[in-house]
Amino acid sequence: MNYVEWLRVRNTLRVLAIVLGAFILIVLVLRISFNQYITEDNAFIKHIKLEPGATVSQSVLPDGTKRTTIKSPSDNTTVVIDNHGINGRHIVITEPLSKAHEHEHRAVIGSVVYNERNVGKMAVTTIDTNGSVPFLYYMAIADLAAFFIATVLAAPFARESDGHLEYALTKPVSRETFAVSVIGADLAGIIAASLMTIVALLLCQAMFEVPSFDFGGVNTSAILMGIAAPFAWYGLLAASTASLKRGYGAILGFAWPVAILVVVFAEIPWGDSLVGQLVHNVFWTISRIDPLSYISFTVDENSAGQLTGPPNFAPRLAIEFALFLIYSTLAVVQWRRVEA
Amino acid sequence: MSTISIENLRKTYGRYTAIDGLSVAIPEGCVFGLLGPNGAGKTTTFKCMLGLARADSGTVLYDGKPLEPSTFERIAYVPERSVLYDWMTVAEHVEMQRRAYTKFSVQRANELLAQFSIDPHKKARALSKGMRTATMVALAIAREADMLILDEPTSGLDPINQRHVLNLMINESARGATIIFSSHQIGQVERAAERIAVIDKGHLALEGAVDDLKADRKIVEGIFPDESYALNGVANDPRIARADRSGRIVRLLTTDGAPEFVNKLEAMGASGVRIVDLNLEDIFLYAVSPSDATADVVEGAGS
Repeated sequence: MNYVEWLRVRNTLRVLAIVLGAFILIVLVLRISFNQYITEDNAFIKHIKLEPGATVSQSVLPDGTKRTTIKSPSDNTTVVIDNHGINGRHIVITEPLSKAHEHEHRAVIGSVVYNERNVGKMAVTTIDTNGSVPFLYYMAIADLAAFFIATVLAAPFARESDGHLEYALTKPVSRETFAVSVIGADLAGIIAASLMTIVALLLCQAMFEVPSFDFGGVNTSAILMGIAAPFAWYGLLAASTASLKRGYGAILGFAWPVAILVVVFAEIPWGDSLVGQLVHNVFWTISRIDPLSYISFTVDENSAGQLTGPPNFAPRLAIEFALFLIYSTLAVVQWRRVEA
Repeated sequence: MSTISIENLRKTYGRYTAIDGLSVAIPEGCVFGLLGPNGAGKTTTFKCMLGLARADSGTVLYDGKPLEPSTFERIAYVPERSVLYDWMTVAEHVEMQRRAYTKFSVQRANELLAQFSIDPHKKARALSKGMRTATMVALAIAREADMLILDEPTSGLDPINQRHVLNLMINESARGATIIFSSHQIGQVERAAERIAVIDKGHLALEGAVDDLKADRKIVEGIFPDESYALNGVANDPRIARADRSGRIVRLLTTDGAPEFVNKLEAMGASGVRIVDLNLEDIFLYAVSPSDATADVVEGAGS
């Protein structure tokens, strides 16, 4: 019943596939260009300006690990690089304690885990590459594609009203069934866009290391938010355009800047004056129906080193799904009343 | 195979009344022509019949039942303007129909497209206006529907393809389908339709079997010696649909009893009185052109 919508989804995903394909190609070119530096520690080390008197020795451990050891007696620093090939590197830097190393420190940047601790009068910094990447990161990037696809697909009813109602409304199904199947096709397209982007990211990552994920902490919930937010955005635009026969392109185009401005204006302080409070309250109220305002970038780490979301993450997630349902229902109600 | 009954249909757009109390019954297996000047309400009638526009009042029944989604398995509609998706190929439109309707025949659709010399791999935007119309007709015919509703199905087509579309409609009727179509080409309607309805300003102006309308309606034409003749109430006879005067010539459109009016005109002094057969175009024009003024003139001359 919704073959036309499936074709629209297919065509939109085709564009995304081309973009992702180009991205993968660029990464592949970079991977080949940096091959020497990535696979061989020698090539990397010879470009480092070593202290006078520093020595570099290399050995192969019984498990096949290539170990490179750099010793610099002048500043009492030792660097040990264990190269596990595709499984990444384990780097240990031992150096005298200084002001720069007063505090112990831990950071996770993608698959790189950085640990700094003090042992006696020495600072020991451990860098592990190829760690588990919080899935939140993949989902955040995939959401860019999902939002893009959601925006492109988000006027299915207006597109039918723009000269095709005689086909759309003379199918042997109720208008409600038709509308729900159209929305279903678009939602499948949005999810497919997320999956395609994640696969593309994994392919790019696999050129450098074996991908591994961290689904702990907020990561699993982030998948749901990554689905709910573009759905709610799609619903908002579908409801805004469902009764239009033309001009829906302007709504799709202006929706982004308007929605972002509403969120920004709701967040920024307008001062304590009556006008300032009024402006804040107006934008805050409007922002309650803006799906973008419930997306949170606030992340922290729990004791297990896993990323956590804001405390009200679950209600935000529930509101996103609720907004999607409300907006979609509004779109279907409007579609029921459309006349050719 | 099916009967369509329209009762008291009324549709307004704001203060404009597009259809005003239209009632017409379309018998099963009939080729039914809907005629009317531009803006008469033909397309609105079709839209109300199909639920594409909500009627303010009135009913449309298909075999005695109101329209419901499943009815569309039995109705194929060709709208007046192209509703093809510009970005889709003709073949994708065929696939769209195949997925939507259980009785749609892909083979038949491809045969028809070939007959119209339409390349299925072309996108709709690459088709001419006539080719788009032909594509929509082909997609509708391939539905093998019980009812075909065609709004200007020959619009933009060359004479050869116009004739082909008419033949397809007649073939569909022979198969048992009920055909309802509108056209400004009255010759085509006369060729294909068994029954017609003429709509004017949303009202039903005339309805009946084409052969009956032509058999019953005659023009009685006579020439008076001068322009100061009087009709002595002849124009008020209920069998006179209208009376037109042009100088010394008077023309009476009769719905019955033409020979009787020949005698009356001759008795009034008219010469060269004769009965003129009407074609459908004449019947249409008499049905939709204003008659009050001319009738007044004729009656006024006699008063």
